[in-house]
Amino acid sequence: MRVRARLGRCVIALPLALAAAVSLASCNSTGSGTGAGGVLHIGTTYPIDSMNPFVAQSDYSYAVYEYIYPQLVQYNSKLGIEPDFARSWSTSADGRTWTFHTVPHAKWSDGKPLTAADVAWTINEVMKYRNGPAGQWAGLLEHMIGASAPNPTTVVIRYSTAVANVLEQMQGMSVLPRQVWAPYFTGKGTGIKTFQNVPPANGQPMVSGGPFELVQYKANQYALFKRNPNWWGPKPKIEGFGLQFFSNADAMVQALKDHQVDFIGEYTPPTAVTALKKAGFVVTTTPSLSMKTFIINTNPHKTTHRELLNPLVREAIEYATDRQQIIKTAWLGLAQPGSTIIAPADGSWHDPNINVVPFNLSKAGQLLDQAGYKMGPNGLRIANGHPMRYSVIFPPDERGTGDRTFQIMQSDLQKIGISITQQNMDDSATFNAISAPNNKYETFDMAMWDWVPPVDPDFMLSVLTCAQLGNNSDSGYCNPNYDRMYARQSTLMDSSARRELIWQMQQYMYSARPYIILDYPDIIEAHSPNWTGFTVSPVMGSVNSLSTQTLIQVHQS
Amino acid sequence: MRGADYVIRRIGFALLTIFIAITINFFLFRVLPGNVVSDLARVPHATPQLRHALTVEFGLDRPKWEQYLIYLRELLHGSMGISFATQQPVSQLLFNDLKNTIPMVAIGTLGAIVVGIGTGVLSAWRRGSASDHVSTNLAIAFYAFPTQFLGLMLLILLGGLLPTSGMENPYAGVFGPQSTMARFQDIGLHLILPALTLLLTLYGEFTLIMRSSMLETLGEDYVLTARAKGLSDRRIIARHVVRNALLPIATLVALSIGWIVGGAILVEYIFSWPGIGQALWQAINQRDYPMLQGGFLILAVSVVVLNLLADLAYFKLDPRISE
Repeated sequence: MRVRARLGRCVIALPLALAAAVSLASCNSTGSGTGAGGVLHIGTTYPIDSMNPFVAQSDYSYAVYEYIYPQLVQYNSKLGIEPDFARSWSTSADGRTWTFHTVPHAKWSDGKPLTAADVAWTINEVMKYRNGPAGQWAGLLEHMIGASAPNPTTVVIRYSTAVANVLEQMQGMSVLPRQVWAPYFTGKGTGIKTFQNVPPANGQPMVSGGPFELVQYKANQYALFKRNPNWWGPKPKIEGFGLQFFSNADAMVQALKDHQVDFIGEYTPPTAVTALKKAGFVVTTTPSLSMKTFIINTNPHKTTHRELLNPLVREAIEYATDRQQIIKTAWLGLAQPGSTIIAPADGSWHDPNINVVPFNLSKAGQLLDQAGYKMGPNGLRIANGHPMRYSVIFPPDERGTGDRTFQIMQSDLQKIGISITQQNMDDSATFNAISAPNNKYETFDMAMWDWVPPVDPDFMLSVLTCAQLGNNSDSGYCNPNYDRMYARQSTLMDSSARRELIWQMQQYMYSARPYIILDYPDIIEAHSPNWTGFTVSPVMGSVNSLSTQTLIQVHQS
Repeated sequence: MRGADYVIRRIGFALLTIFIAITINFFLFRVLPGNVVSDLARVPHATPQLRHALTVEFGLDRPKWEQYLIYLRELLHGSMGISFATQQPVSQLLFNDLKNTIPMVAIGTLGAIVVGIGTGVLSAWRRGSASDHVSTNLAIAFYAFPTQFLGLMLLILLGGLLPTSGMENPYAGVFGPQSTMARFQDIGLHLILPALTLLLTLYGEFTLIMRSSMLETLGEDYVLTARAKGLSDRRIIARHVVRNALLPIATLVALSIGWIVGGAILVEYIFSWPGIGQALWQAINQRDYPMLQGGFLILAVSVVVLNLLADLAYFKLDPRISE
C-alpha cells in the first residue's frame, strides 16, 4: 500500500516540481545506509549548540560527548552507576579520597595512549580555570582539591570534605584528549571557549576516546559519527549514526514517515503518537525526570500581592488544580501527575509518601475564606484591599501543552474567585521578569516553566536554595532551614541516610509550595520497525548523556 | 550637474541611514528585557563568579557608551565581534548562514518576480477573461496564505517525493560514494520545496501590482495611437506597455532583493533550512548582541544599497526625475 501511495504522489507532483529532470531520483528511498550494521539516522529538534563542552548547553551536545569522550562511570538502565573507563573504584574511610582503576592499554582514536593521566590532567586543568572559561564545569568539581595519576591505570581524586555524589559527578565529566586541548589551557585560557572542537578541515575525524568518532559536523544541520577503530569497549553493532536537526517537530515527524530518518527522540509531540502507530512505527513512552511547574513567588521580600505568601492561598491554588484533566486534555494521557520536586522516575530518590491534595474546588474556596479573602462583587476575591488578579509569566517552552494547562487552571481558579492572565515572553525575558528587580524577586506573582533535571537529585534540590537566587532560582524561595538540609545531604555517604533526608526535603518543599508540580511529561520516541535494541531512559530517552548503551546495542531487526 | 547632485545626495543619505541603523541596532537590543549572562550562567551549581566572569568576558561591565564606541571602532576595523553564544566570529557565522540562505531565497524571490510579472502582464492583456479571473484570484489566494500554512501543506503533500528538511542528504558522501553531479542534484532537490513556498507566497503581490500598472498604461493615449497605427497587440504590449508599466515594479523588486539577505524565517523554520533568518531568531532569543548587531547591519546595508540602486535606476528610467 505504501509503495502505491508514494508512486501516486510522484505522478501528481511531477508537473509541480521545478527540476523535473531530477525529480524521479527523489522517489528513491533515502533510508539508512546498508553498510555492515547499517547507519542509524536520528532526528531531533534540539540541535547541538556547540561542540565545545565549555560552551555547549543543549542536551544533544552532552549526548555526543558521552559517545566520543570517555567517562569514568556511566548509568545503567536502572539508573545505577556502573563501570565505564574506570573498571573499579574505592573510597577512603573519611570519604575524601576516591581511587579509580581505569582500563589498561586503552587508546584514543588517533592511536595515542588513553590513561589515568588523561583523567587527572583534565580534572586539574579544568580546576585551574573553573572561575573563568571552564566555569560551566565548576559544578562537577565542587569541594575537589585535585587529582593525580600514580600509574597509568590509577587516578586518585581528593576532596576537601566527603561528597555524596562523586560517582554521579564523574559520570557527567568527559575526559578530554590532552593532545588536542593542551594548547588551549594556557595563559588566561581564552582559547578554551573559542576552540570549535570540530573535525579538522583535512577530512580527518575528531580525536575520540568513546565508541564513536565525529567525522562530519555542520552547525544546525547534522553531525555524523563512525565507529572508533581504537575503542576499548564493546563494539557497536552499527557502522555509524547521524544526528539530523529539525527546526520543528512537524517536519521531524514527517521525515520519519517519509523514511528520511529512522528514529526520532525526546521531543516527539503527543499529537503525533496515534498517526505514527497507525503508520506502523514503534512508539515508546517512558516516564521522565522532567516536570512542569506552576511557580508562586514565595520570596519574603515580595513587595506586591503579599497574600501569595500566605500558605493557605498556595494550598487553595493546588486544591483548584485538576491534574487529571490537565493530563487527559493537554497531554493526551502521556504524562504522570505531579507531586514533588523529584520525579517518581528517579527511583528511590522520589518520596512516594507525599500526600498530594486532590482536586477540590469547595475545599479551595474554604481555605481562601479561612484566610479572610472574601468574594467581591465581580466574582473575584478581595485580598489586602485588591482583587485577587495575577499575571502568570509564560515562556515559549510552555507553548502548546502549557497553553491547554493554563486554560484549565484559569477556568478552575476563576470558580474560586482568582483571576489569572497569561503574560507571554521569551526565555531570557522570563528570567529577567521573575528575578526583577536586580535578582531580588520582589515583583512577580506567578509563572509556568519546567525543569529537566539530572538523575542525581542534588541539582534539583539546589534550585530552591538561597545560593541560587539570581542563578537557577525561578521561584525566589529562600529558607535557611532548607539550605542546611541541602548542605547536609550533599555530604552523606550512606545512601539510605541521604535518601531519608532527601525525602524530608521533598516533604518540606511540598508543604511550602514555591512550586505546584503539575505533571511529569513522558518521553515519547518513535522509530522504524526495521531497528531494535533501544534502551529507554528517563533523561532524553534512548540516546542520552547518561550512557552509551543504546548506540552500542541498537541494530537492524 | 543636476544628475551628479542627485547621485551624491542619494549616496550621502544612504550612508547616513546606515550609520543610524548601526546606532539603533546597538541600543535597540540592549533595551530588550533579558540578559545573556543570566541565560548562559544557568548551569548546575552556577556561582556568582561565573556570572561575573561572563559579564567581564562580554564587556557588559563597561558603560553603554563605552561599549558603543568599542563596537564602532571594531566595525571600522572590519570586525563584527564574537558571538556570545557560540564564541565564534560573527562574520564567519553570518557568512555561513548567508551562503545557505541566498540561493534558496534568491531562487524563490526571483522566481516570484518572473512569475508575478508574467501573470500580471497576461492578466492585464486578457482582462475580464476567464484566465484573468483565475490568475487574479489565485494571486490573491496565495498572497493571503500564511507562509507557514502553505509551507506545511507542501511539506505534508510532497514529503516522500521531495526532501522536506535541510540542505542536503548528510549521509551521502560520508557513508558511501557521491559524485559531484549527484551532490548538485541532491542540493537542487532540497531547494525545491522551500523555494517553491517562497515563490508562491511572494508572486501574488507582483501579479497584482503588475496587472494594475499594466491596466493603467493600457489606457494611455500613446497606446491608442499605437493601435491606430496598426501595430499588433503583441508588439504594443512588449514595446510600449510593459516597459512603462515596470516603473512601480522597480521599487518592489529592489526592496524584495534587498530582503533576500534577511532570509525567510518562516520558510527556513518549516524546512529546517539553516539560514540567516533562523540564526537571527535564535540570536534574539539568546540576546546574542554581537550576532544581532552583525546580522541586522548586513540586512540594513543590503536594503539601503538596493534602495539606492532603485533610486539610481529611477533616475535613468524616468526622465522626469532629472528635470
